[in-house]
Amino acid sequence: MYPAPIEAYFAPRSIDEALQCLAEAGDDATFIAGGMSLMQAMKARLVEPRVLIDLNEVEELRGLARGPRSLTVRPMTRYRELAATSALHGALQALGDAAATVGDRQVRNAGTIGGSLCWNYVASCMPSACLCLDATLVLASLAGGTRSVPIKTFLVGPLETARRDDELLIEIVFPASIRRGVGSAYRKYGGAVDGLPIVGIAAQVEVDEAGLCTHARFSVGGILPTARAFDGVGEILRGRPGTPAAFAEAAAAAADAIETQGDHLASAGYRRVLIRTLGRDVLAEAHARASNGAGR
Amino acid sequence: MKKEITVTVNGEAITHTVPLRLLLVDFIRDECGLTGTHVGCTYEGRCGACTVQVDGRALKSCMKLAVQADGKEVTTVEGLAREDRLHNLQKAFSRYHALQCGYCTGGILMNAVDFLNENINPSEDEVRRALVGNLCRCTGYSHIVEAILAASAMRHGLKPVPPPAETEPAP
Ligand SMILES: Cc1cc2nc3c(=O)[nH]c(=O)nc-3n(C[C@H](O)[C@H](O)[C@H](O)COP(=O)(O)OP(=O)(O)OC[C@H]3O[C@@H](n4cnc5c(N)ncnc54)[C@H](O)[C@@H]3O)c2cc1C
Ligand code: FES
Ligand code: FES
Repeated sequence: MYPAPIEAYFAPRSIDEALQCLAEAGDDATFIAGGMSLMQAMKARLVEPRVLIDLNEVEELRGLARGPRSLTVRPMTRYRELAATSALHGALQALGDAAATVGDRQVRNAGTIGGSLCWNYVASCMPSACLCLDATLVLASLAGGTRSVPIKTFLVGPLETARRDDELLIEIVFPASIRRGVGSAYRKYGGAVDGLPIVGIAAQVEVDEAGLCTHARFSVGGILPTARAFDGVGEILRGRPGTPAAFAEAAAAAADAIETQGDHLASAGYRRVLIRTLGRDVLAEAHARASNGAGR
Repeated sequence: MKKEITVTVNGEAITHTVPLRLLLVDFIRDECGLTGTHVGCTYEGRCGACTVQVDGRALKSCMKLAVQADGKEVTTVEGLAREDRLHNLQKAFSRYHALQCGYCTGGILMNAVDFLNENINPSEDEVRRALVGNLCRCTGYSHIVEAILAASAMRHGLKPVPPPAETEPAP
């Protein structure tokens, strides 16, 4: 399998240069990040970019930066780096969990968080993890400067996002106050170890000094049209101690409320069972991390 | 549609003019004539037989374009041995019978060498997990896992678990 002919290839070294390349190349120009989705699509001729703009040499698109109340992850940060960093411990650990279990180690050496979010494949891990952790995406274009889009608005549908064709994703910003008692976790179930998620679940739990849940976020990936959050979990858990019964009740409510699809991988009913069981376990793990003083 | 690139392959700088859509795996096999890098699945990026190292990191070379390796160091399985001396991991693969047909072996070696650089003392579970991106249709993986653990132990000067006993062929 071979990509269709490519007319031009650029490897810019800065954000400005990348945007310039895009503006000059116009239609049919495509950014390539880790290539873990795009190369498959090019070889299958699902996409036939005339011009490729390679982001791998843009140093300023890589790495993490901590602010007073936030953590910024730049889009070309690879899964390997996210899985290894201690910067996510505590409140944002769901992102580290998700990155550590994407595909296999060769995929984690190449694939990026930004590529995964911009591709927004149904069976993927970054969209649901970033939705749970309430990310804000910063997009830049030559004409429009920068704009910030909440992840909930950004994720539109299968292979569809709110990114305009002339925009480059430059930052993924997570709220990360230095409050204690916040923990998060991500787990998925797929057909093989570290395989594409039939269902993937992220949860973030906040506890007070008495060990009562003060806040919880819960999101599900692997479902159509795109990863979704379920606020009901937070309402059910608020003010309650983190007991197995409470987590089971909250996850069951999510499984009942979230519409799921049946496909060749799993029936809709099976997906609901996964949301119930994985959801209960992920909530327990996030709660345990919160209670251990994670998020400090 | 074409571009001149210079890639350092196993220590030797190679300059070629290549079509932009040429895959790195085809550059390695067809342009450099290094056929130890295999193609086992052609496009899903699943089998890992095409794994090489680019600047020291294990990557599937069917998932990269050759032009993306311009200016980089590529190491293939042919670059593991030093003159006549096999790499420790290659010796361990031989001693532990970690290959049968050998189709997957080049890719597994290139992935495992990167893995052992990253994890200096892996557990069996970690080794198995590191092999998720490499399919082997022959061995059932057990001997591959043993060989990688043995190579890791050799590096620490520890005595590796002995290889499975040789059985005498029936007279
Ligand atoms: C064998 C295998 C197993 C996998 N398993 C999993 C799994 O378990 N879970 C999972 O979630 N994923 C999995 N994936 C997919 C993987 O996560 C991809 O890395 C990811 O989907 C795309 O990221 P990328 O960096 O490779 O982006 P690319 O494939 O390079 O790009 C994807 C798209 O995003 C666009 N893009 C990239 N960066 C930017 C940017 N900064 N601004 C604007 N547009 C941009 C590109 O133009 C392209 O359209 C797997 C892939 C493979 C090959
Ligand atoms: S040929 Fe199978 S992963 Fe590259
Ligand atoms: S030895 Fe035959 S595929 Fe691995």
